[in-house]
Amino acid sequence: MSILNDIPILSFILFSPLLGIVVLLALPHNRSNWMKKTVVVATLIPLVLSFWLYSEYDKQQDGSVFDEQQSWADIPLNKETQAAVPSEFKFTLQYELGVDGLSLPLLLLTTIVAAMASLAVIQVKKRWKAFFIWFLLLEIGILGVFLARDLFLFFILFEITLIAMYFLIGIWGYFNRERAANQFLIYNGIGSAIMLIAFVILVNTAGFRMDQIGDQVSFLYSGSYSNIFHNLADSGAWVNLAPEQMGTVNPFLMTHTMQWTLFILLLVAFGIKLPIFPFHTWMLKVHTEAPTAIVMVHSGLLLKMGAYGLLRFGLLLFPEQARAFAIPLAALGVINLLYGALLALRQQEFKLVLAYSSISHMGIVLLGLAAMNEIGLQGAVFQLVSHGLVSALLFLVVGSIYERTGTTDLRELGGLARSMPFVSGVLLTAGLASLGLPGLSGFIGEFLSLLGLFESQRWLSVAAAVGIILTAVYMLRAVLKITFGLQREDYTALKDARLIEAIPMIVLLAFIVLLGCFPSVLTDTTQLGIDGLLDQLLATRAGG
Amino acid sequence: MDKLTQTAWLIPLFPLAAFLILTALGRSYRRVGVLIGIVGSFAAFLFSLFIVVDRLGANQVDYNYSIEWLAIGDYSLRIGFEITNLTTLMLAVVTLVSLLVQLYSAGYMKDDERITVFYGYVSLFTFSMLGLVLSDNLLSFYIFWELVGVCSFLLIGFWFTLPKARAAAKKAFIVTRVGDVGLLLAILLLFWYMPEHALDFTTIQSVFDGQSGAITNGITTLIALLLFVGAIGKSGQFPLHVWLPDAMEGPTPISALIHAATMVAAGVFLIARTFDIFQDSAAAMETIAYVGGFTAIFAATIALAQNDIKRILAYSTVSQLGYMMMALGLGSLTGGIFHLFTHAFFKALLFLGAGSIIHAVHTQNINEMGGLRSKMSVTTWTFAIGALALIGIPPFSGFWSKDLILSAAWETNPLLFGAGLAAAFLTALYMSRLFFLVFMGKPSAASMDAQESRAVMTLPLIVLAVLAAVSGFVETPWNGWLGTWLTDGSEEAHASGAVIAYSVAVGLLGIYIGWLAYGKRSISFAAWHERLPWLVRLLERGYYNDELYSAVIIKPLKLLGNVLLAFDTYVIGGIVRIAGAAVSTAGRAAARLQNGQAQTYSLAAAIGLVVLVAAIVGRRFLP
Amino acid sequence: MLASYLTVAAMLFCIGLYGALVKRNAVVVLLCLELMLNAVNLNLVAFSKYGVVPSLTGQIFSLFTITVAAAEAAIGVAILIALFRMRGTVNVDEFDKMRR
Repeated sequence: MSILNDIPILSFILFSPLLGIVVLLALPHNRSNWMKKTVVVATLIPLVLSFWLYSEYDKQQDGSVFDEQQSWADIPLNKETQAAVPSEFKFTLQYELGVDGLSLPLLLLTTIVAAMASLAVIQVKKRWKAFFIWFLLLEIGILGVFLARDLFLFFILFEITLIAMYFLIGIWGYFNRERAANQFLIYNGIGSAIMLIAFVILVNTAGFRMDQIGDQVSFLYSGSYSNIFHNLADSGAWVNLAPEQMGTVNPFLMTHTMQWTLFILLLVAFGIKLPIFPFHTWMLKVHTEAPTAIVMVHSGLLLKMGAYGLLRFGLLLFPEQARAFAIPLAALGVINLLYGALLALRQQEFKLVLAYSSISHMGIVLLGLAAMNEIGLQGAVFQLVSHGLVSALLFLVVGSIYERTGTTDLRELGGLARSMPFVSGVLLTAGLASLGLPGLSGFIGEFLSLLGLFESQRWLSVAAAVGIILTAVYMLRAVLKITFGLQREDYTALKDARLIEAIPMIVLLAFIVLLGCFPSVLTDTTQLGIDGLLDQLLATRAGG
Repeated sequence: MDKLTQTAWLIPLFPLAAFLILTALGRSYRRVGVLIGIVGSFAAFLFSLFIVVDRLGANQVDYNYSIEWLAIGDYSLRIGFEITNLTTLMLAVVTLVSLLVQLYSAGYMKDDERITVFYGYVSLFTFSMLGLVLSDNLLSFYIFWELVGVCSFLLIGFWFTLPKARAAAKKAFIVTRVGDVGLLLAILLLFWYMPEHALDFTTIQSVFDGQSGAITNGITTLIALLLFVGAIGKSGQFPLHVWLPDAMEGPTPISALIHAATMVAAGVFLIARTFDIFQDSAAAMETIAYVGGFTAIFAATIALAQNDIKRILAYSTVSQLGYMMMALGLGSLTGGIFHLFTHAFFKALLFLGAGSIIHAVHTQNINEMGGLRSKMSVTTWTFAIGALALIGIPPFSGFWSKDLILSAAWETNPLLFGAGLAAAFLTALYMSRLFFLVFMGKPSAASMDAQESRAVMTLPLIVLAVLAAVSGFVETPWNGWLGTWLTDGSEEAHASGAVIAYSVAVGLLGIYIGWLAYGKRSISFAAWHERLPWLVRLLERGYYNDELYSAVIIKPLKLLGNVLLAFDTYVIGGIVRIAGAAVSTAGRAAARLQNGQAQTYSLAAAIGLVVLVAAIVGRRFLP
Repeated sequence: MLASYLTVAAMLFCIGLYGALVKRNAVVVLLCLELMLNAVNLNLVAFSKYGVVPSLTGQIFSLFTITVAAAEAAIGVAILIALFRMRGTVNVDEFDKMRR
């Protein structure tokens, strides 16, 4: 037991960027250097705290020691009560945070990538203060998404990221920024709306709980994730009881049709974010138009929220549907993988290559999820973390190249390895990590996902393996076009990375190598926290 | 088991440390950098030598040690190292060749501004190859296998500003990656079929060797063939050989290290390591034997028509690897490994010799060379030894290993024996062509002021020449020491006078014809160029393999990419645009309602109120 | 008794509503608003006398309403004068600034 158990560490992590916002608000407009320092420090605090949490995370327990729960607001509901017992109906908005093996890796990823992205903000040229405030708010939103254990809290924080991203793209983006921001907002807004519908239905049925204190019985509706999870899993809960078994009408019954509807709604809602083919088009514009630091966060973290949501709400709440849907899910994964790879092969704009490569890599996540076994799920989580690090690094490098050459068009770049050996070396290594070179993090996620999938769906796994070749083809094509070959005259005088650029590159690279060589630092954490969650998803498979 | 063997995992760490130090140092400190690289591989070589000496005694027990790398639920993936006689042999070969190549490069790459980067890459490569050799299971084997591939990619593209080097590096990586997927799938299959999900070689051996029936025949064949696909990619067998000749764009010492002696040997080593799986499947064995035999002839014919000295040697490598595969396919583990062992020395020697020549005459075209015998005597003599060993003239090493392979074919498969002999004849022909054109005759313009290379380059040549000359004696028809050592005595030596006679006869015949044509010039192959120009071109272009792949794979893939791109832009993007347009049209229509007149708004509200009241009141009158 | 009061109030309200919705002149619109308020006042007083539970509260409320109506009329006329100064008209059709 440590000091961490006595303080609300998760809330500290979640709200520590707020400190930065407060300081920023107090700073005068022209102090851009102070602001930069503030934003870097403000992202370092959650980084340090989350690593402290990781080191104290008791691997032998389920980690629930860190959960925090507070009632936020009670809304009495005007429902007719039975006169026999004194009772009341309430709808409770809860503030509930928690970590487990699924969220801790992503939490760490968030703090790392956000801190590194905060070092990349030097490329922002205008309106520092507002940019930094939105940036920190974005970090709060992402941290909250991974920490929240209440459906409505999750939803609110999910939306915060949306609004923050909208302004960050719309004001500080490149040429078509407003269009990109609008498309982003509309697409994700639709996703959020679908998610909200699904959440409301969930709260209305499985979110029901009965508390008895003395004679007073209170009927609570809440978005508490653990409550919903247990209600859905427990065959004796009201949600799962047919009216015949109840003897009366059961307003809380969730029929199979309803379960399927919810599952599909959640799949679409988070599939847009992931993105699953054919909902991917919004992402391309964001990748090309957003400023460096933001696209690092977007590609590195926001896409992960989609996968995380799909896993936590789609798969874990509806294991039966998930299992029945495993083959289409794997097929979607293969389509994502191959489609993204083939399109990445035909792009002339490096940012678009990376955007399609993200689609391709998210396909691997889907494959891991569709495997419906421990190895596959581990692979999917690993792939999320790995892709977060790798794509953040790649976009960091892209930002550095763009700053110097003014272009990211493959046809205009070449031979940069001569004048910028460090940046080129990092780019090449990141590219190799992205195509799954062993020793770097990309390989583990890819390998585990395929290994898991191979058990259940062999042919899809073979098709996915072909995708690995294509990944190598498009990644090498793009990276070699930029770094190898003849150098253009006007690029000879380019300077290599400055220290402030090199630091985040080295840190990200260090994590990529660390995870590639010692994957157990991540997998052990993931493993021990999720046993309870996965039992249901996995156990019933053995039964039938 | 003594401490030495237990600490064998340290061997790869020396070159790794060298790589890390070199990378950290950057491009300054050139002399120190070179020294660090050489010291790293020298330490590894010394250590390996101790282990070899230690294991030379009979009845050494295999030692393996592994730790859990990754645990997921009930499954665990392990990494570890294993010392067997086979790995010991490979350790010695890899570290020795690597050390000699690094010594040689100190002279060859002296003027390159990125020489420290070069040494860094070579050290990393040595590390990966040693890791591969020491691996005790297929997973860590695969990890190092890929690392070897990527190092080879880096070294081929070392002169990255040349577009050809860039293309060759990319091609090497992608083509071998095709093979890697085969190996990966084999690992996936093994993982799910092996009892306890074990992937280590010891368990694989016991499961397949004991005919336990744990794995059905079909699956065994499938696994074996997939493993072989991996080996095809790495060892440049037909049809994935196309990357190897192009890989000659890299610096010549690299060609010696990677594309002759070590990396391409990885495929052969893989099959040798998992030989028990193959022995369980007759179909897989036959496939390997025929693919190997075919590749041996196929590549040798192409080598006949090449004019680039390195490309000739590259195709010769492909051809010799075909021999090794054929030996393995015929069930002769010793034959394959023995040829791998001798080939490592004489092919490294030939490549380094070629490097010495290129260094002196600044061209790679053999037609522009000539008469180098008088200018570069050390290179000439060592090259001659290498060529004779490759052709298979006794008592040089290549003869003994080739003889072992041919005897294996002689007993079981006359067709493959014929193929082997034909390939041996072609080998003699193209090597004598190379030798006579380069070293004999009158000095050409390019070779007028050629000079012998410096001692740092000739010393490795001499060492390798000695090894190429004598290393064959570890396994002769009368003394099967290597076979006994490698296979615990299950493969015995066998002498066959007829085989020796045949192989020496075709070798000598090939040299004689080569001498007539390119030495004495009494017969001329020029007639071929006139009468059958298509045949010559066919051979020069390597049977148009590249063009074929371009037409059958690359073009359709690009086309598919373009089709999908159009689909993405017009169909999916179109749907999004239509949806967007629909919403904004609806919005514009709705915007008309807003005319700014407060009275209109309140009128609408009043009407709404009336409707609401009517609805509520009207409900009473409904049934 | 109650019904007749309510009927008068309803008629008054409808006349006021009609005027408020269709009259062009803003002064007339304001007058019509007063009519509607007075209809409400009438209702309040009527209920306070003849309602199910008669109470003085209704009358007090009507006093409140009259006060508020007076204030509202004052503000309304002030706005109107300001608008008239700016636009030179009291025609409500021409006040469509909200559109943009």
